[in-house]
Amino acid sequence: MAESGSSAELSGSLTLPPPRTRIFKIIVIGDSGVGKTCLTYRFCAGKFPEKTEATIGVDFRERLVEIDGEKIKIQLWDTAGQERFRKSMVQHYYRNVHAVVFVYDVTNAASFRSLPAWIEECKQHALGTEVPRILVGNKCDLQDSVQVGTDVAQQFADAHSMPLFETSAKSPNSLGDGNYRNSDHVEAIFMTVAHKLKSQKPLVLSQPPEGSGGTVILSGGRNDGGDGGKGWSCSSC
Amino acid sequence: MSTARIDRASSPMNGRQDGETRRKRKIADITQALNVDPVDVATLRRMAISEGGLLTDEIRCQVWPRLLNIPPHLLDQEPEKVERDNNKDYNQVLLDVQRSLRRFPPGMPDEQREGLQEELIDIILRVLQRNPQLHYYQGYHDIVVTFLLVVGERLATVLVEKLSTHHLRDFMDPTMDNTKHILNYLMPIIERVNPEVQDFMQQAEVGTVFALSWLITWFGHVLSDFRHVVRLYDFFLACHPLMPIYFAAVIVLHREEEVLDCECDMAMVHHLLSQIPQDLPYETLISRAGDLFVQFPPSELAREAAAHESMATSTFKDFELASTQQRPDIVLRRRRRQKQASPESSTLSPVMTVAQPSTARRFVRLAVMGLTVALGAAALAVVNTALEWAPKLDLFP
Repeated sequence: MAESGSSAELSGSLTLPPPRTRIFKIIVIGDSGVGKTCLTYRFCAGKFPEKTEATIGVDFRERLVEIDGEKIKIQLWDTAGQERFRKSMVQHYYRNVHAVVFVYDVTNAASFRSLPAWIEECKQHALGTEVPRILVGNKCDLQDSVQVGTDVAQQFADAHSMPLFETSAKSPNSLGDGNYRNSDHVEAIFMTVAHKLKSQKPLVLSQPPEGSGGTVILSGGRNDGGDGGKGWSCSSC
Repeated sequence: MSTARIDRASSPMNGRQDGETRRKRKIADITQALNVDPVDVATLRRMAISEGGLLTDEIRCQVWPRLLNIPPHLLDQEPEKVERDNNKDYNQVLLDVQRSLRRFPPGMPDEQREGLQEELIDIILRVLQRNPQLHYYQGYHDIVVTFLLVVGERLATVLVEKLSTHHLRDFMDPTMDNTKHILNYLMPIIERVNPEVQDFMQQAEVGTVFALSWLITWFGHVLSDFRHVVRLYDFFLACHPLMPIYFAAVIVLHREEEVLDCECDMAMVHHLLSQIPQDLPYETLISRAGDLFVQFPPSELAREAAAHESMATSTFKDFELASTQQRPDIVLRRRRRQKQASPESSTLSPVMTVAQPSTARRFVRLAVMGLTVALGAAALAVVNTALEWAPKLDLFP
């Protein structure tokens, strides 16, 4: 699995770490049935899953992307939506998270109303304001049964300083040819987050060059408040 | 490495004919055990554990109720009507059942499947309605569907209700604290057999959530071949309620080389372990799990499991409030408290002594394990333990 880049030639510079595949860890949360599994599957596998089931506990998916010539591994942690799993089970997975994706279902007003509770959840897990968050309204292909209007969602997103994306993990634009890429926002959503994280500079953990030994954690430098591009730092939580 | 490949030990290859003969004999034994008065439950348990389990769904319809000690008169009860409106769990249950397509046989016509899904919803809501102390969890539907497909709605309702108030009771608490506590048994079991694997997992900080769905669905959520699921249910129904966690440990141990070759990182190890191989040698693993249970009974692991828990006493109130219903986790707690209270265990720090089992002892145990697997002795011992457990409340005499 180790996507180790060339690692030997670092001799000259003392300060720079050796080139490694950086890892961006993103947690995806939201009510049961809003489509968290579909979204993460879509992004990582490039297609809509035929059957998804209830997620029990936490599932993990990843994808290697290239941003400005740098290979970056995006890890998505897909969590169970049912409330009882949040408290004792999922907390472990909030550790060292680099970004949060909140998902609601545009056809289910209750899932939108739950968002403050999910934001509170993040707060409880001590995710600092520097951790980027985005809001995703899923299932917008079901235009006839929309319950959460874009304006209301945008207001909420603004109030919490998050960008809003409306999307459908199951895009009707794909014409069934199996090629779903670029036919909707799913790709853009996660790539936006990745770009944002990349611009946050020293960040984070990376993978050791030879996939052995412990993971090196180079944290620090995340609190560079100067960076805060528009609407990224979440003021209220 | 030291638990070398013993996969073949339990099933000598004597050809198909021999297999057919054994199968016939087993069916005869089961029939006889069912026909004696009183029913020979001990034999039935042994049959459910031993190679091949209970063989057919027809047999399961007769034996599963016996394994759960269900009085015959309950079996004829017509299931009552279910109130779907105003049911607090209905939405969640509906959502989960609608998505559970994979649990049904691949070739089943949609109409038939949809009918079964309706029945599935009814069974779940009925049990919850009758037992307001029980809380639905995602994954419960994976258990119920297995019963529905094997024994049909009426019988499934009775079996699931009993199971929910016993084996699954801890999972159905208002919170998952007790479930988490049971998961804490996983690492001590792994440590006893292969400390290197346990060390590695500890270093990776992988946690135990990868095994959560295994535990609370009895593997129904993660195994795609229904025959394997049912085979495991034979085993679990005949055994102690904590057996699924031993089986989880055995799966991890079975993959020890893969685990140790994996990058020592939470995500990677979690990913590896949560992708359960579909071609596991089930019979061998079952036998091994039974073996581990006998060698490292829950009572022996209770203290270590508790050490993983940051708030060991927080559920004390739950314990006090619990009915006389037997709940694996509760019994373990009681056992632990009794141990702590008893004077003879007080001299040395027991945590220290348990935490460092001598290598010699471990080797002896591994040797014994190989032997018992080969002889099928483990199955017998587990039956005995289960028997001690079944009729009364005191789990660990």
